[in-house]
Amino acid sequence: MSFEIIASNLLSGVLWGGILALIALGLSIVLGVMRLINLAHGEIMVAGAYCALVIGSLTGLDPLIALPLIAAIMVVVAVPLQQLLLAPLAGKGAEAPMMTTFAVSLILQNLFLVGFSADTRSIGQGYSTQPFSIGPISVPLIYVLGFVISVGIIGAVYLLVNRSAFGRDLRASALDPVAAASVGVNVRRVHALTFGLGAACAATGGVLVGIALSFTPTTGAAYLLTSFAIVVLGGMGSIFGTLVAGIVLGVIQSIGALVLGDGFRDLVGLVLFLAVLAVRPAGLFGRRT
Amino acid sequence: MMQENSLGRSMAHPLTGSVAPALIVAVFAAAFMTPGLLGNYEVEIAYRLMLYICLAEAWNLLAGYGGLVSLGSAAFVGVGAYAFTSALNAFGVPPIVGLLLAGLAGGVFAVLVSPAVFRMRGLYFTVGTLALGEALRLFMVNVPWFGGSRGLFLDADFPSREALFWWALGLLALSQFLITVYTRTRLSIILRSVRDDEDAAAQLGVRIYRVKLVAFVVASMLMGMGGGLQAYKLGAVEPYGMFGLPWSIDILSMVVIGGLGLRYGALVGAFFVITLAELLADYPEAHIVVTGLVLALVVRFAPRGVCGLVIDNWKRRRSETRGSEREVQP
Repeated sequence: MSFEIIASNLLSGVLWGGILALIALGLSIVLGVMRLINLAHGEIMVAGAYCALVIGSLTGLDPLIALPLIAAIMVVVAVPLQQLLLAPLAGKGAEAPMMTTFAVSLILQNLFLVGFSADTRSIGQGYSTQPFSIGPISVPLIYVLGFVISVGIIGAVYLLVNRSAFGRDLRASALDPVAAASVGVNVRRVHALTFGLGAACAATGGVLVGIALSFTPTTGAAYLLTSFAIVVLGGMGSIFGTLVAGIVLGVIQSIGALVLGDGFRDLVGLVLFLAVLAVRPAGLFGRRT
Repeated sequence: MMQENSLGRSMAHPLTGSVAPALIVAVFAAAFMTPGLLGNYEVEIAYRLMLYICLAEAWNLLAGYGGLVSLGSAAFVGVGAYAFTSALNAFGVPPIVGLLLAGLAGGVFAVLVSPAVFRMRGLYFTVGTLALGEALRLFMVNVPWFGGSRGLFLDADFPSREALFWWALGLLALSQFLITVYTRTRLSIILRSVRDDEDAAAQLGVRIYRVKLVAFVVASMLMGMGGGLQAYKLGAVEPYGMFGLPWSIDILSMVVIGGLGLRYGALVGAFFVITLAELLADYPEAHIVVTGLVLALVVRFAPRGVCGLVIDNWKRRRSETRGSEREVQP
């Protein structure tokens, strides 16, 4: 195996990890703020990809240009969904909302199947197959674009959480919803918007996945688990940890695929996930509680 | 949703507790032995009902009584199926031994993974088991052992429809026996104490790990045997099907719809979901959408499932009649 191949693989692992981190960030925020395990996260991600597909075929808009529009659509759809299905379950334990998101994932998966058939889709663009070369090292250009966009969005979310008034409410609700509510934070509103933000992260990540690779109605499950692996690795609710863990997982997946074969890509991530859960449930960057 | 059924409630009816499960088994047997009552189609449905009741009972023990909500049932079904097939192919053992080995394999696998999955509490356990199931499926698809992604063919002769029915009935009887014993002894109270408050139970001297492990092993053995029986029926195993997520999804849906942690939740749920599946057999996508909708509605409006609804209604009616009697009396 030549140096170029190994270096190219490692670099594409790093870049791919950035995209994975964006998807995982949505899961992490929802988990950290709402204490909700969103089992429909993968389907929301796939919904973003289908959304880009439909917008592309209707308007001919480039999916990367359409990203803000897709994110906005996701927020508009996800917020009422949260208020209709999840908000009434507040205070009924952690399982009821999780089961509900599970039901939502079943419903979404089959709606995709009915609406778009089981065919493998890809949001083909001119640049999705174009290479990006630095000397002898070559990676797909879309990986570079995806990484830059993902890190940009992750940075924006970081600023939103740490520098804005909404972020202050969000952090307060995450720490102690009852105390936050008693000092005037509208926790219900924060939860609804957090769910919307999580959905927007997943959906934009889904568009990038759709351009770089391909997707089917059932693709979501694998990304849900990968996202969990990243969240657990990076520590729940830690934005910086999520980014680092995403990149680590991307690199490990690349190495796994290179050494063992492409089929092992997801398996390597899952085994790492189980190992970390078993050894250090608080994550590599999380504080032990 | 679980804290609602008070401890000891299921102990209140000493007779119904053990008579009803025996009755269920007897009803299946009687229906089958009545000539002309069940056609081929009905026998097929009855087989599926019995298999799923067994799996759902096992899952209800784990999730309903133990609070261990697993999304990894497929792993244990798959392990059982492969153990059954391998045992019959390699050693030519009779099916009964194969089924026992399938159960054993499920139990041993549960013991092996328990150190990892029991470190995760509550929702993390759910995600961990989901990852476990998917990891095992990907493993079986990608490694060259056990037939790889193409799976294994069973060398034994196909069992007749009648034989399969009796095997499934036996499995149903075994599951009813085990779960009845489990839920009617102090094992169940200890298990529920762990479910309701792990720390408090530990302080009272309950050995958390061991209590969880026993429930996990019993449930996994039943699931392994269920997988073994399904392998016997199909005559072949392959990783996509036997380790597929639909097993975990179906079992969870059945129990949650029927009534999580209620003695007849698994039974009612299995009837409900399989009937629904048959009614919508011509529209497979609609079937899953409808199951999802029912699941969401049940979680929202009937947290204790169909059984919970019936029990609550019955209680309310009884208290209403009592209330009116009291008004008349003075």
